[in-house]
Amino acid sequence: MPWRRACLEAAALVLAGGALGLAANLVRSDPLPWRAAAAYETLVPCPEPIGEATPLDPHDPALNDPRTVLVSALNAAESRSLPLVPRLIIPYDYLQEVAAADVRQVAAARAARVVVVGDGQRPDSGEQLARELAWRGIRNVFFVHGGAPALAAAHGGRP
Amino acid sequence: MRALGGWRGHAWLAVPLRLYLGVLFLYAAVHKVADPAAFALDVATYEILPLGLVNLTAITLPWIEIVAGALLLAGLRVRPAAIVVAALMAVFLLALVLALVRGLDMSCGCFASQAAESDPISWRTVLRDLVWLAMAVHVAVFDRARLSVAHLIRKGVPP
Repeated sequence: MPWRRACLEAAALVLAGGALGLAANLVRSDPLPWRAAAAYETLVPCPEPIGEATPLDPHDPALNDPRTVLVSALNAAESRSLPLVPRLIIPYDYLQEVAAADVRQVAAARAARVVVVGDGQRPDSGEQLARELAWRGIRNVFFVHGGAPALAAAHGGRP
Repeated sequence: MRALGGWRGHAWLAVPLRLYLGVLFLYAAVHKVADPAAFALDVATYEILPLGLVNLTAITLPWIEIVAGALLLAGLRVRPAAIVVAALMAVFLLALVLALVRGLDMSCGCFASQAAESDPISWRTVLRDLVWLAMAVHVAVFDRARLSVAHLIRKGVPP
């Protein structure tokens, strides 16, 4: 078949298929209107931390190492009840990226390792913050496995 | 290059490629015909078409795929059908590349709707579509309607 004729027939196929689609839509029990009445709400995913962070047992002696920076992903009041005093408090918000100033603060600590403690829930805010810090370029980032409840069980809660 | 194009095996190689593309396009159309509203959302997520064309595309495109796929499978009007498939692949490729360049985290919408985890777009998807585009071009150029309904018609079906 010559190419010119094939192209014309291809255009006819498109028209035929389109007409078939319109006809099939008319006989549906729930036809789709030809024109959308309102704009579609396309999904915008939340910022997703994709870095790698290692879980750390709450009994791990590295938690008491002076070269470790303990970061709390909890709010200030919750952080005060942690059995170990966090050097930094960066309350984690699932809907917002960690502020650049907070990341700079962690980087400025020049710690051998950064250990994040969160709420220990599923998902764990500590793990999320740790992964986001790793994603933003912080190295040797860990998170306390089980979060604040596990840390309290291992070290005893603070009054 | 001319020797490669003159290889006599091309006509036979085109047969499995034609059948594969036929099944592929029929399969791809199934979920779109079954749930055109979900497919319309997929189309809208690419953020390429104006709102006025989103539903019309969702209604007609799957049936164009069905017509082209069925003709390829049957071996009728192969060259026009292969041209339609190649043109559709080119359009899909353009949409994919634009979505990837803009960093959209979304489902391809090729074989299922909405679950970005099940069929997420990636450069691998682009590569896959490029292979299918090459197959369609090969069929358009080299298919001689072997093992096809058109071949049976030409020979005359025995009584």
